[in-house]
Amino acid sequence: MNNGSLVKLIDVHKTYRTGEMEVPAVRGVSLEIKRGEFLALMGASGSGKSTLMNILGCLDRPTSGSYFLDSADVSGLDRDQLADIRNRKIGFVFQSFNLLPRTSARENAELPLVYSTQRLSHAQLRERADRVLASVGLAGREDHPPSQLSGGQQQRVAIARALINDPEVLLADEPTGNLDSRTSVEIMAIFQQLNERGITIIMVTHEQDIAAYAQRNVVMRDGVVVDDRVVPQRSDAATQLEQPLPSTL
Amino acid sequence: MRIAPTFNVAYRALRRNKMRSVLTALGIIIGVGAVIAMVGIGNGAKAQVEAQIASLGQNVILIFSGSTTSSGIRTGWGGAGTLKIEDAEAIRREVSGAIGVSEEVVSTTQVAAGNQNWFTRIFGESADYFDIRQWPLSDGAPFTPQDVRSANKVCVIGRTTATQIYGNENSIGQILRIKNVPFTILGVLTPKGLSPQGVDQDDIVIMPYTSAMKRVIGGTTLRNINVQIGDPSQIAAAQQQIISLLRQRHNIRPGRDDDFTVRTQQEIAEAATATSRVMTVLLGAIAGVSLLVGGIGIMNIMLVSVTERTREIGVRMAVGARGNDILTQFLIEAVTLSSVGGIIGIICGIGASALLSTYAHWPTLISIGSIAIAFLFSAAVGVFFGFYPARKAAALDPIEALRYE
Ligand SMILES: Nc1ncnc2c1ncn2[C@@H]1O[C@H](COP(=O)(O)OP(=O)(O)O)[C@@H](O)[C@H]1O
Ligand SMILES: [Mg+2]
Repeated sequence: MNNGSLVKLIDVHKTYRTGEMEVPAVRGVSLEIKRGEFLALMGASGSGKSTLMNILGCLDRPTSGSYFLDSADVSGLDRDQLADIRNRKIGFVFQSFNLLPRTSARENAELPLVYSTQRLSHAQLRERADRVLASVGLAGREDHPPSQLSGGQQQRVAIARALINDPEVLLADEPTGNLDSRTSVEIMAIFQQLNERGITIIMVTHEQDIAAYAQRNVVMRDGVVVDDRVVPQRSDAATQLEQPLPSTL
Repeated sequence: MRIAPTFNVAYRALRRNKMRSVLTALGIIIGVGAVIAMVGIGNGAKAQVEAQIASLGQNVILIFSGSTTSSGIRTGWGGAGTLKIEDAEAIRREVSGAIGVSEEVVSTTQVAAGNQNWFTRIFGESADYFDIRQWPLSDGAPFTPQDVRSANKVCVIGRTTATQIYGNENSIGQILRIKNVPFTILGVLTPKGLSPQGVDQDDIVIMPYTSAMKRVIGGTTLRNINVQIGDPSQIAAAQQQIISLLRQRHNIRPGRDDDFTVRTQQEIAEAATATSRVMTVLLGAIAGVSLLVGGIGIMNIMLVSVTERTREIGVRMAVGARGNDILTQFLIEAVTLSSVGGIIGIICGIGASALLSTYAHWPTLISIGSIAIAFLFSAAVGVFFGFYPARKAAALDPIEALRYE
């Protein structure tokens, strides 16, 4: 907390057991992430990125090792305690958006507050959802269900949902995996803008150009971290959007 | 967790699959409706039997000539002709606590007045009869002990007999010819209506038993004797006293069966209500089975719903829903289905009983209690059959649920 370290993993292992077989997905990862960082987690398919993200997101517990989130050890918490941590400290953005069907953008964004210990009136809920939807550029779309929104718009609703509880960290597993290149840049512009406002972002991607929007790239292979570097020439999504898109994207 | 949005979620999930929800609720509607209607029919029958037994009078002991089996009254009681007028007089004299005794003979015959005639029931009774049966007159006066002693040609008649013969005319003081004997009508009884067997209790002529035996029916034995006891705590003692008195008077040696039967009103009531209670339980059980089938329908649909919404459950868990929140959500959904079905079922059941009593003339009785029980039971069906699917949902692993295709 005092040294600004938000996430601290110490020798984290995760081994899946499927019958007789043991699959070591994460094999000893130690990692420290400071408040306000924008980190891209990279690596080939099957290298353990999603497994590590599930542990970081408190959806899963490490088989061994410690995980400190906001200076508190969360590696030994039970199901309900993990649910509370997810509700208060973590916002998720998924590759496939995972919005509730036939439910308005506003109600999708409000979802984490339903399970919050905060007691907000119906009007306060609505006001907060509309504000966060506006901040991701969806003012005027509050009543639209996912079926009436484009992929990029759906992902923005998901970002709004992740932000509504003012989380410590935003976790995004391949957030641009289902989006075309221009929409991907739009989403990156939102991420960079949020990051400038001080929100910590951890994003999984296997695309080099997407990882270039982050400050720091961590590369995994076979369940271990093989590279950890500061991005030398960071892409700026906002300026890219003002110009015609370079053909490389 | 916030409860109001959870209800909202349940409501919207149910509305999303309108047809499915309606069909699922239909199972409960039919089940609860059947329970309400069947129990209503059973209770109606029971209430009618109870009312009839209450109309025998208060604290009454009935003595029939002829013996009976222990389980109930054998057919043909009264036929054996063992009860004498003197037996009744002895009871009147010797049984402590007997405040009224009525000797009873019964027949059916043609009665006539002017050019009208009518086939009706003739009851011969003592003057105590109207008190024992708690059957007051609406007009006129009953016959007196003096009329009984003198076997006077007087009678009182029921409302049906009165209208059949005299229409709207006043019948009091008129002459009614019974087997060509002219009887003077002293009074008209208050109407009692139909008995459960469908006998019109107001189709009756009641006269002194002496007159009936001497002038109308003939014979020297009584069909039965009605005894009223003043203090209910003395009924059992009085019953024993009557038995030993009659055994002694009829010279029945020890070890031999009685040639008469003594039943308290309580015993008759118990036998009759036991029968109707069995009927109520049977009808209710049959209806309960359909409610059970409705519950299984709910379980089935909830399981389908949990599978369909696996991803939604994963999302909810990812944003902080605890297992209990998910459990509550699905339980509320199941209970909403079952209790809304229950309410509609109650309305349908009340409607069905109303139709049955209007068109089939079945007596039905629906109490607030049975409505409340039916409602609570339908809600309980939702909890019971919703619990397994809801627990299944709550136990899902968030990562696998999010990945579910
Ligand atoms: N639930 C699971 N059960 C068994 N093995 C798993 C499970 N999840 C992932 N794995 C295995 O763990 C390894 C890492 O998977 P994952 O973390 O999904 O990699 P990535 O996201 O980098 O593609 C893979 O070999 C995968 O097959
Ligand atoms: Mg992955």
